[in-house]
Amino acid sequence: MIKDTWKFEPFTEEPIRLIDEAGNWIADFPLDLKEEALKKLYRDMVRGRLLDERYQIILRQGKASFVAPSAGHEAAQAGMAMAIRPGSDWLFPYYRDKTLLAAIGYPVEMLYAQMMATRLDPNKGRQMPEHPGLKELNVYTVASPIASHVPPAVGAAISMKIQGTGQVVLTTFGDGATSEGDWHAALNFAGAQGAPIVFAAENNRYAISVNFEKQSGSPRISDKAHAYGFPGYHVDGMDVLASYYVAKEAVERAREGLGPSLVEFLVYRYGPHSSADDDRVYRSREEVEFWKKKDPIPRFERFLEKQGLWTPEEGERLREEIKAELLAAEEKAEAAGPVPPEWMFDDVYGTPYWLLEEQRQILLSEL
Amino acid sequence: MAVMNIVQAVKRALDEEMARDERVVVLGEDVGKRGGVFLATEGLYQKYGPDRVIDTPLAEAAIIGAAVGMAAHGLRPVAEIQFADYVFPGFDQLVSQGAKLRYRSGGQFSAPMVVRMPSGGGVKGGHHHSQSPEAYFAHTAGLKVVIPSTPSDTLGLLKTAIRDDDPVVFMEPKRLYRAIKEEVPDEEFTIPLGKARVRREGKDLTLIAYGGPTVEALEAAGELEKAGVSAEVVDLRSLVPWDKEAVLESVAKTGRALVIAEAPRTASFASEVAATIMEELLDQLLAPVYRVTGFDTPYPYVPDRQYMPTVTRILNFAKKALDY
Ligand SMILES: Cc1ncc(C[n+]2csc(CCOP(=O)(O)OP(=O)(O)O)c2C)c(N)n1
Repeated sequence: MIKDTWKFEPFTEEPIRLIDEAGNWIADFPLDLKEEALKKLYRDMVRGRLLDERYQIILRQGKASFVAPSAGHEAAQAGMAMAIRPGSDWLFPYYRDKTLLAAIGYPVEMLYAQMMATRLDPNKGRQMPEHPGLKELNVYTVASPIASHVPPAVGAAISMKIQGTGQVVLTTFGDGATSEGDWHAALNFAGAQGAPIVFAAENNRYAISVNFEKQSGSPRISDKAHAYGFPGYHVDGMDVLASYYVAKEAVERAREGLGPSLVEFLVYRYGPHSSADDDRVYRSREEVEFWKKKDPIPRFERFLEKQGLWTPEEGERLREEIKAELLAAEEKAEAAGPVPPEWMFDDVYGTPYWLLEEQRQILLSEL
Repeated sequence: MAVMNIVQAVKRALDEEMARDERVVVLGEDVGKRGGVFLATEGLYQKYGPDRVIDTPLAEAAIIGAAVGMAAHGLRPVAEIQFADYVFPGFDQLVSQGAKLRYRSGGQFSAPMVVRMPSGGGVKGGHHHSQSPEAYFAHTAGLKVVIPSTPSDTLGLLKTAIRDDDPVVFMEPKRLYRAIKEEVPDEEFTIPLGKARVRREGKDLTLIAYGGPTVEALEAAGELEKAGVSAEVVDLRSLVPWDKEAVLESVAKTGRALVIAEAPRTASFASEVAATIMEELLDQLLAPVYRVTGFDTPYPYVPDRQYMPTVTRILNFAKKALDY
């Protein structure tokens, strides 16, 4: 059954917004989310924020060597998480997606294990922190080279179409990624194939120090979809309900055979690009403060409060509960112990290779 | 004489060449206000402006490809690739366009450009911040490949690379960026490409290295000395062109050689050097030439340092050569 009524217009100049800064519902359709779903969105955002804060602590403690701060991206990520079917749909994420991953049920102790390269990391400590991946949940392991995961995401979507599985791919990336040739080649192919995929740009306006004006002559990422023949949605990514509803519609379109969509979520990154960056060199403190006033979490609290679903006390209780959960997960990840060095020789190929066995012996003789 | 590290040497080379020749422009990701993620272009944007220090979109194909066109049209671009691991989106432009432009146009066009890139491991960055992909470039006819390991060599070689009429891949061992400081003359100087440098003299064994592992080679030579073995350390500095004469001269004297590099062993530049020594000096060798390299796995996050040729690994192979 193909729906002929869709909620959202593609290619709007202004971002799609469903709740205003004061927390009022301003959409032209009725809110049809249950209390449970609204609370999940809230919880997922808070969990992502607190996880990001905990990562800063393990960084300072020397337990992790790198962090990619995600504060400011929570609404877009929590919204997307609720729009897909975790464990069935496939996710091709990038390195700033901890809220999204935790929200779809990626076990937090495994996220920590990846951060600290302990034995509980299903990726066996092969990659630097913030590069998780979990086959069990159809989460394709994150790669550092920007946009390099977007063509494989399209390939998975084409496979879903050929095999008629009814699954959908969601792939995320930053604004900078939209400049890479891989990105354009992937969107073009997806458009030509009508592949069931949602391309999600988490546009935080900076690729490290390079602002979006230097990244592209085009004012909006969403507009780029036009050239590939599918809809592009321009969304206030600090509005969790706009993020959810638009992502949901894009996912449904893909599932119903209407092909790809590009969704641009306007977000902001409150921290530096990474633990190796100093953002004071390229953006003013006033600018950061301006965006902090638009923090997606208090904004949604105002909304929930108006719905009678939130009080400051409840918010505090939830935070304490999540903090305890995160601490327990961290301890579990750490207790698994570090990945042994000789594991590095496994998984280069699916079958043994004499050369690597020789080299494993060399390493063992040196330890 | 000023004391400087390798990042400062890069910055000084760029600054001097930009001041000397206004055709020299710098382009890359974050090279402007941010001064590059390793701060190798710090201050240049403020001094030379946005037309000569260009913050590019995040697209290595565009950076390298545009550098080829700029060079063909008369500029002298110095492109920065943020990490050598990220050159691959621009690989086609480098090997199909840059490398072959002079040849396929019968010498009418050329691409006098430099592609700088921090390379090598030891920074806990996993495979996408640690690789040593020099073999791909050395294997591509038309590209020159330079890998310095000290501040003064970096300064002198980068200036020469910028003045060179062919595309030069200039790889900077990032783990040494701030680890090595030395006094560098205040007056201007350049160092020719294709000349190795004997970093330490010896008579029993030659350790041939380049880039990051020259540090471990020198340290191993120090250890060997304590055991009564005199090791010579030859720093290649430049892989294309490479200094065969200097290498053969040293190995003819010592009769034993290890070729030390961080890159994986299979089809490596270390293999090229080892094969050449064996072809040309077979009857003077007292032992096989051993390659002491990184392992043939992707560069892992765990372990970081032990992936690379450690002092222990160098000493183990030195013993093999000496006991042969
Ligand atoms: C191919 C490639 N080039 C360069 C880099 C270095 N790098 C890492 S993150 C980054 C900026 C990415 O910005 P964006 O896509 O906007 O995502 P954000 O980090 O802002 O979320 C760059 C240039 C890389 N990882 N991969």
